[in-house]
Amino acid sequence: MQATAWAQARQPGFVSFCPPSAADRKFREPLSERTRVMARNVLYPLYQAGNPQLRIFRTNFFIQLVRPGTAQPEDTVQFRIPMEMTRVDLKNYLQKVYDVPVAAVRTRIQHGSNKKRDHRNVRIKQPDYKVAYVQLAHGQTFQFPDLFPEKDRSPEAGSVDDIQNQFMEDERQRQKGEPRRGGVPDWFGL
Amino acid sequence: MAASVRFRWRPCSRVLRLHTVAEASAARYPPVVASLTAKSQAARQRRVERWHREAHDAPSAEAKLRVLTKLQRLKYVVYPQTFALHADRWYQSFTKTAYLSGLPLPPPPGPGEPGGPADLAPLRSAACDCLLQEHFHLKRRKRAPLYREQESAASPFLRQLVASLVGLLTPHNPSLASAALDFRRPVHFYWWRGEEIIPKGHRRGRIDALRYQIDDKPHSQIRMPKQLSEFVPLDYSVPIEIPVLNCKPDKLPLFKRQYENNIFIGTRLADPCCYGHTQFHLLPDKIKREKLLKDNRADQIEVGYRANAIASLFAWTGAQAMYQGFWSEADVTRPFVSQGVVTDGKYFAFFCYQLNTLALTAQADQNNPRKNICWGTESKPLFEVIEDGDVKGFNDELLLRLVQFLMNRPEENRSQLL
Repeated sequence: MQATAWAQARQPGFVSFCPPSAADRKFREPLSERTRVMARNVLYPLYQAGNPQLRIFRTNFFIQLVRPGTAQPEDTVQFRIPMEMTRVDLKNYLQKVYDVPVAAVRTRIQHGSNKKRDHRNVRIKQPDYKVAYVQLAHGQTFQFPDLFPEKDRSPEAGSVDDIQNQFMEDERQRQKGEPRRGGVPDWFGL
Repeated sequence: MAASVRFRWRPCSRVLRLHTVAEASAARYPPVVASLTAKSQAARQRRVERWHREAHDAPSAEAKLRVLTKLQRLKYVVYPQTFALHADRWYQSFTKTAYLSGLPLPPPPGPGEPGGPADLAPLRSAACDCLLQEHFHLKRRKRAPLYREQESAASPFLRQLVASLVGLLTPHNPSLASAALDFRRPVHFYWWRGEEIIPKGHRRGRIDALRYQIDDKPHSQIRMPKQLSEFVPLDYSVPIEIPVLNCKPDKLPLFKRQYENNIFIGTRLADPCCYGHTQFHLLPDKIKREKLLKDNRADQIEVGYRANAIASLFAWTGAQAMYQGFWSEADVTRPFVSQGVVTDGKYFAFFCYQLNTLALTAQADQNNPRKNICWGTESKPLFEVIEDGDVKGFNDELLLRLVQFLMNRPEENRSQLL
């Protein structure tokens, strides 16, 4: 079983998405010789001279566009990307998948806090994540949209809500005491 | 009874006391001023005024520079030759410079015309010789190492070109005879611009000025004992607005460091050639034209030239002004003018810079209508291609413009001590 799986994986052009088994691990090429390709947590077949270019058609990377916490220049877009993705990967990703011209990418890794403790005093780790700042080419600009705009909460005239609100308003006016007493209840006095 | 007695006596004693109070009130108590060490705006104001007074009272320009640059704090390091996007807009806002395209000089006069060179042929042959020497005649055994191509070919070419043109034009421009030509001399400048509230640290919540430092090494520069004449009057109001960026300089990206606050024009204060004439800059390999075109950054080619010119010329003219004793609270009384040529070996761009104001701090800039002005051109090629020992498509206009820059001389009747 292991032998056939390994033989299948060694065929040129085969891209396996299964995590390697223990037997395969000793044949796996070291990390430094593995070239960067457009997917994460996969084992790629070893390149032999004469092999065609390895192509990934459905990438394993998924990125999130986020609203920047501090003010950014108009041409800068902020993403949260997987830790294994590099700035070159992100540039290719945006240009080939989304057709977005990218001029420059800068990345940093945000440390997730390990300070909180649960009821057993065991530390709780928030996951680390990678942030990428992408500057768009050709003078394009981007503004993160307002996803939850303020809606006009006043009910329209003639609707049930409006009549109800009007009725409650009238009731409140009726219950109110004399304005000259300044809010003091009428049972208070000599 | 006793009260009425007291009332009767009081007017006499009050009259007596009035005389003595009038004499003694002048020198009774010391003046009531704000504290010097408290965490308050009044105390900060008093400390700043004390520092300003110390700078105003400094006996020489050297002592003044020492007082102004003694305190070291974290500052933004501005690199004139940068690959950052839209760097020229950021640098304009840091230095309060308005950029105008087109030079304030007339079109360069041709050979034989008044103000131009007597004969263009020897100048053109000198330039072609320099080009051919580096690109054709000199056979290099090894290719230049990675990212070091400019310093292997373009740098010696520019050095030879500048030296030969200066030598050939000295008979026509006598001020070049007393000028000094430096190669790879450092130019440093330190200034304050704007304020921010410190977000973190032991000084959190306090108002702090933003500090900037430029450490530049132009390829070559020409310094003169007399200042070039101004292009426009000191209080000329430029119609262009200076770009205002509403995010912190860190987003450029720009990084902070703390080290010596240097202000240096290329020589020390005692040098008589303390005014700048022309600077030549060679763009590094990181912002080569081919690289930018490959990286989707075709519109950033000119930005690199402009950013280099604005930053380098502002630093040079600012340092010249500080050598004369001007600073942000003692603004310049005459404009400081310099010229600059930025090239990458083939494409040349010409810039003129006039420093009208050094008052860039938040306090000094409140009612300051003056702006620094930078004029510049697009980059144009000096030649098309070099093949078979021949320079094809040599651009005479560019050479004439270069000659016009070098022939620019300070006015004869201009007195220096203003």
